[in-house]
Order: sequence, then C-alpha cells, then structure tokens
Amino acid sequence: MARYAMVLDTRICIGCHSCTVACKINNDLPVDMIYNPVTTIGPTGVYPNLHMTHIPLLCMHCDNPPCVDACPTGASQQREDGIVWVEDEKCVGCKACVMACPYGARHPNLEVGIVQKCNFCMDLVDAGEEPHCVKTCHQRARIFGDLDDPNSEISLLLNSERSVRLLPELGTEPYVFYIMD
Amino acid sequence: MINGVNLNQDGVEIKKSVCYFCHNNCGLLAYVKDGQVLKVEGDDSYPVNQGALCSRGNINHLFLNHPNRLNHPLKRVGARGAGEWEQISWEQALDEIAAKLSELKDEFGAETLATAGGTLRTDDWARRRFMNLFGSPNGFHNAHLCWIPTFMVETAIYGWCPFEIDMGNSRCIVLWGQNPGASSMPEMRHLSDAKKNGLKIIVIDPRFTETAAKADLWLPLRPGSDSALALAWLNVIIWEGLYDQQFIENCCVGFDELAQHVREYTPEWAAPLTWLDPELIRAGARMYATHKPGNIQWGTAVDQIGKPGGATMHARALLRALTGNLDAPGSDLLTGPAQDFITDEEMEANEWLPDEQKAKQLGSDKYKLTTWEGYGRIAEITRSVWGKAPTAEWMCEAHPPTVFNAIITGQPYPVKALITLATNPINSYGQTSQVIEALRKVDFHVSMEYWMTPTAALADYVLPAASTLERPTITSTYGCSDFLLASQRVVQPLHERRTDYAFWRELALRMGQEEMWPWENLEEANYYRIYPLQYDVNSYDEFVERYRFHFPEREYYKYGRLGFATPSGRVELVSNTLAELGYPAMPTYVPPAENEVDDPELAQEYPLVLTSRGGIMPYHHSEHFQIKEIRFLSHEPHAQINPETASKLGIQEGDWMWIETKRGRIRQKAEVTQAVHPKVIATERGWWYPERKAIEPDLAGCMESNGNVLTSTAEEHCDPMGGSWANRGLLCKVYKTNGKDGM
Repeated sequence: MARYAMVLDTRICIGCHSCTVACKINNDLPVDMIYNPVTTIGPTGVYPNLHMTHIPLLCMHCDNPPCVDACPTGASQQREDGIVWVEDEKCVGCKACVMACPYGARHPNLEVGIVQKCNFCMDLVDAGEEPHCVKTCHQRARIFGDLDDPNSEISLLLNSERSVRLLPELGTEPYVFYIMD
Repeated sequence: MINGVNLNQDGVEIKKSVCYFCHNNCGLLAYVKDGQVLKVEGDDSYPVNQGALCSRGNINHLFLNHPNRLNHPLKRVGARGAGEWEQISWEQALDEIAAKLSELKDEFGAETLATAGGTLRTDDWARRRFMNLFGSPNGFHNAHLCWIPTFMVETAIYGWCPFEIDMGNSRCIVLWGQNPGASSMPEMRHLSDAKKNGLKIIVIDPRFTETAAKADLWLPLRPGSDSALALAWLNVIIWEGLYDQQFIENCCVGFDELAQHVREYTPEWAAPLTWLDPELIRAGARMYATHKPGNIQWGTAVDQIGKPGGATMHARALLRALTGNLDAPGSDLLTGPAQDFITDEEMEANEWLPDEQKAKQLGSDKYKLTTWEGYGRIAEITRSVWGKAPTAEWMCEAHPPTVFNAIITGQPYPVKALITLATNPINSYGQTSQVIEALRKVDFHVSMEYWMTPTAALADYVLPAASTLERPTITSTYGCSDFLLASQRVVQPLHERRTDYAFWRELALRMGQEEMWPWENLEEANYYRIYPLQYDVNSYDEFVERYRFHFPEREYYKYGRLGFATPSGRVELVSNTLAELGYPAMPTYVPPAENEVDDPELAQEYPLVLTSRGGIMPYHHSEHFQIKEIRFLSHEPHAQINPETASKLGIQEGDWMWIETKRGRIRQKAEVTQAVHPKVIATERGWWYPERKAIEPDLAGCMESNGNVLTSTAEEHCDPMGGSWANRGLLCKVYKTNGKDGM
C-alpha cells in the first residue's frame, strides 16, 4: 500500500503562484476559492539586510484528520493511501469540517453548496500522474510521492534533509513536510 | 478526467504548441477535439520548461476563448476613440487599407508609413519584408528597451552577443538587473539546480527581489547608476590583477589603454554614486573574476536606464572580455547566427530597401548603433566572419519616440500612417503623454489586436489577431540563435481572426508584391526555412511532430578558427566600430538620466528616485489584466516604498498614493516594504483597466496607473548610442491621495 505525502522545499520556492493558478484552473474553482495559497514572509530585517521566504500551503492530508472526525454525514473520508477527500454527493455543506481543520484547508463552494478541498488530484494520482501543482512548478519546489516506498524521491529527500511540519503539537500528524530555508 | 473532461475520449488529438506570454516560450501540449481546446499542459519533453508552466502558461486556453477577444474586422464610424464601430469583411478592410496606404505613399513617400510590433507575438520578418518592399524604414518595437542596444554594443566589441550561457558548467553568474524569479521561471530553475552544485549568484538590483533572496551577494545600487558600478568592477579586475592574462594577450587589443582609462574609477569613487559600500563593490568584482568560468546573464534593466545605458553595456561587455569568459565552457557563448536553416534576417528582404530610404530611418541621425548606419557596418563585419547578419527587425529600427514626435510635429517629415500589431504603445512605450498625442493625431491608424486596448480604441480599423494556439511558431531568440524550436498550429484561427503573416501577405498582394510572397501560409514559409536542415519530413507539421527542435553540435572557442567579427579580428577593448560611429572607444562614466548632483533644484522638488519594475507575476508588460483567473493574484497596481519614507509621508500599506515626475503623475497602491532603499520608489508599469470602457477620454484608465506616464523619452535622457529612453533612475515625489476613491 502507498502512503502519499508532499514536501515543500522553501529553499527554492520563489512565490510565483503557478501552483495556485494551475490548481484553480484545472480543478475549475471559483475565483475566490484557493486550495493552495502561497504566503510570503518578508522581506524581514532592515534594508539592506533582508530575508524572504515563501510558504506554500495546502491540505496536510493528516494521518489523524480532524475534518473527517467532524463530518456528520461521512462525506469527508480518508483513503488507505492517506488521501483525505470529500465525496460531493454526501456533503450537505454544514461546514463542521471547516471549523475543525486547523490549517484552513477546507473551502465552502458557494456555487454548489458543498465544502471542497485539495485531494492531491487523486484522479491523476490514480492514473499514475502527479498533482497539477507539482507538475506546473518550474522550481520543483513541490515533491509528491509515496512514503511507503523507501526509494521514492520523497523518501530519500526526507531521509537526507531536516524537515518540519505545521502545528505538530495538535497531533494531527500532517503528511506535508517543509524543508526550511 | 480533468475538470470533468475526459481527455481519453475518441477524437482527442494532442498538438505541440508553445506559450508566447513571455520570452521563455515554454512548450505546451494542447488537447483538442473538434476544433476546441480542452486543456493545455506543460510539455515534459520540451527542453525549456520540462513540463512546468507558470501561472500565465496555465491560462493559454482561457486567452484563446476569452469573451472579450476581438473576433471580426471593425471600421470606425464615429469620432476617433468614441467606441463606435461597424463590422466589415476582411476583403473590405484590406482593400480600403491598401488603397489608403498607396494614396499616402504617392503623396508623402513610403517613409510616411510607420509600423509597430509586439514583443514576439508576431512573425516579425513578415512585417519587415512588407515594409522593405513598400519602401519604408520606419518599423519599430519596444526594441530599444529590450536587449537590442545590448546586443549591438556587444557585437561591436566581440562580434556577436553572448546571450547563450553555458550555465551547467558555470561557477558564478551575475544577474545585472534581472529577476528570473519573477520573469524567467525556466532560468530560475537552472539557477537553483546549479546553486546546489556551488554556483555563486550575484544580483545587482535596487530591489530585494525573489532572485536577490536566493543570491550569494546582493548589490542594491542606486537606480540608473550602473555605469559607475561597471567601471569600478573594471578597475578592480584590472588593478587587482584578476584578469585572464592569456586571453588578453592572445585575443584582445587595447588592454594597456583600457587599464589607464579606468584607473580613476575606483570603488571609492563609485561608492557615493551607486550608494554601495566600496568593499561590497570589490566583493562583487572579485567573486565574478575569481569564480571562473562565469556568466553575466543578459537582462533588460540596462536597456532601460536611458542616457547611461550604452556606456554601461560597453563596460559590462569588457568585464567578460577581461576575464576570458567568452565562448569557453561554462562561460557566455558566442554562438553566431544559425548556419544551417534560413534565419529571420534572410526572410526580411533587406536588400530591397533602397539606400536613400534607409537614410530616412527616423532617429538614424542620432542613434547610430541601432539604425541603418551602425547596423549596416556591424552586419557587414559579421557577414565576413559568420556568413550571416543579425536580424534587422529589432536590431535596426526607427526610434519610437522620434516616430511619435514626427507624427506630432511633421518633422523631419510627415508620418501619416501607423499600423500597430499586437502592441499597446500607450501603456508600453515611454512618456505616455507623447504617445497618446501622436495616436490621437496620426491621420491613419490600423491596429491588429487580440483585445480592444487603449491603443486599438484610437484606430480607424481594428483587425482581429490570431494568438499563440492559432498559429505555428519558430522560436529562435529574435532570429539570432543557432538553434530553433518549432511548434504547430493547434487550431485554425477562431472566428475571423488571422495571423499577422496572413495580414501582411494579403496587403502585399494588393500592393504589387505578389512575386515576393510565394508561401500561402506560415506552415509553407516555415517549411521553406527548415528545408535546408534536411530532415526526412515532407511538411513543417511533420517536423514538429517528429523532431520539434534543432540544436547544432556545440563548439567552444570558435574564435580560434574564425577570429572575432570585429575590424581587427580580436576582442576590441578599445573599439574601432564605436569610434567609427562617433562614440567613445572606451566607456566613460555617464550619470543617471535625472540625478541630484547634476540638477539639485529638480531634486528638491522631486527628492525620491524612481525605478520601473520589470517582470511581475502574473502579468507580462501591459498584458493579461483581463484574465480573472490570474488577476485575483494582484488586482491592483502596487508601488514599493520603504517604511521609513512611508511613515514620513503618512502612507500606510494599501493606501493609494500619487507618484509624480516632471512628466506627470499616476496612482498606485503602497506596498510598504524593506525591499527598497528609503529614497527609492519602485512602480509597476503597463497598467490599464480592461474592465472599464476603452473610449475617450478615459480609454480604459490608461493614464491612471500607467508607469510610463512617469518615464522620459526626452533627447537628453536617451542613450546616444542605442536610443534607449529612461524608465529608471528618474527623480520623483510621492504623496497620499485624497478622498474615498483615492483620486
């Protein structure tokens, strides 16, 4: 079995927002819905001694996803390969998951009355391809793959570089890892 | 399934196209069924982008099908700029335009027609061919702001422009006013990869950019002071003995003279001019000179500083020569022109333009390096060594501000007709008040466009242009690379759109040029161009499908076999060609176009220094403000201001502020940031508001936030060599706007 995860290498991310746009266009999202915003921190410091980092965000595909626990209809689910997704037909748009998610990764789609989210482009993944945000990234700052495969690019990377996860103290066990500058 | 569309359904074809929303021209795959483009994605096998696409690349199909695209020929029926149009047929439009051009030619001479093209949105050789056969030397682009003066200065000194860099083998790269992190994603990827292997990155930029944030060394110089920095680097490299003695002895002439010439240009001399610490200037020069092989990547910043531009390019070129970073592995490569396919220049029919017409090229009396006299001389030398010349379209053009001035004043002769093609000069050329006055005044104006831009709104005829996915394209770096990348037409032009090639050819057929236009469409012309490559293909499309690229085998140190394409056959540290044209044979210090030393009175009224930003994601030049799928990233124009200055002026993040120079004022929102020096204001350029009506007097808000309102094309601010005008290094002031709408 696979366990999918993503690494965001902030050492090379340049904050170009290509991932944000590729996701929005290919998933046909309304203009105000963004699954994967890129946050720029800085420039910090005082001119000319400065530092700037870009942090791409997305669903963390947690191992203990609070959004799944919060869902009253069973629409929010986690696959065996770790992907957290919403079954549109079962979602009633109650937004309990929006409240439960500490990462702001759940988005009410007012046009269709349900909550939607990043699902690692699971249709593409099932077809053996990469998520749109990964393919579009010129910098290859997003690395997607299977952590159960010890020889995958992502496993090798995480074994060789120090990485952090967001809000680890909550016990959500995110499967999105950040290599920091 | 993508987006609810099954790409595996019957009848879906995959076409190999290319993105033309900037100069990187990333490869695309387009999924097409029944003439509809279902999806675009990056082409994994394309060497430039290897499957990746920036935000703009992802919107190619939205650009194709956007509801605001122009789809039919229009003829003005009301007053100019009133937005009243009648839809007419192509036949009628072409007949009437041809008749009018013939009439004006008879009365005023062929030079009365000027034409402007967009940056590589069009097949430039076709326009040049038409113009040469028509008899007018007055075609132009925004070439003077975009690499062309650099190309010509460098070619004068060592016989070609070393724009092809061998980054995989390089140990140091200088990004001089270039920010690939926001304007050239594929290059940025190469930089990041090479950095992991120890590449040193030096960024010279007044702003702390996306790229500066990843650099080993950042030199935040005063905007427009590049000439002082380049001269100081020459001084350090020569007088600290960091030069390549063997290369200088074997390949250069004039070293001793140059060494004496730059002796006074010390880092201590440059420090107050550049606002840089002398030790930082030294550190940069040392890093570049001691990490060999190295590169100085071409950026367009120096083409945009106006008056000091030529001297700076000249000094920068000498840095490469002194360090021997020319045509060696890992250095900047002198590829020369393509030897094995037909280049743009060979398609231009330049030999058909009579000498007396060449002499009438507007601006050629002043800006000799980028007009017929200088280009003609340099082309003669490159032909004698390389066998071919650089493209004349781009490298040898009328000087745009001089053309606009001729329209307004009738001097030195009347320019009565203007054809603009996929370009919006109101937003992309300097000193907007001059451009708009010319566009309002010109007797006859045809605009071939994708959108009803402010410029198209002032035309008499507006013709619908085919865009990237609707045309086949050959990419060969403005016709100057030795390789080519070929892409195919994805769909025939939608509605009544046509390619610019079809427009020029149809016009040419009506004006007696039949014999010179044997290719019925671009595929035929492109096949003619690649035929000498001798691939086993029967059509251009087949070449794209089976091969797509042609890269000749790389040969280093070609000068060993050919010499350098200069009068002496060597790298000329004291330039014969520049001296022949009446320019300094060695670079001297030229101050920023406007500065506090030469004009303290002006600096009292305008105490801040303006720089116009280059590429900003997600836009390119004055384009893409219509596309809501990217506009949401940055809905309004922003100018960067340091917190210290903002606080003094009572300006907070997000406030609308006026930015004013001697030429006028614009409003942009304050981005309060440490990224700029307290005395620097960095504006975005090109802004207009497609959501507003493109009618007089507002013309889609084309003057309101347009950075070019502030820039200067005054003769005293233009580079005497290449004719660049000043976008950067100007004096300005800033103040908060009043009222709830900020006006």
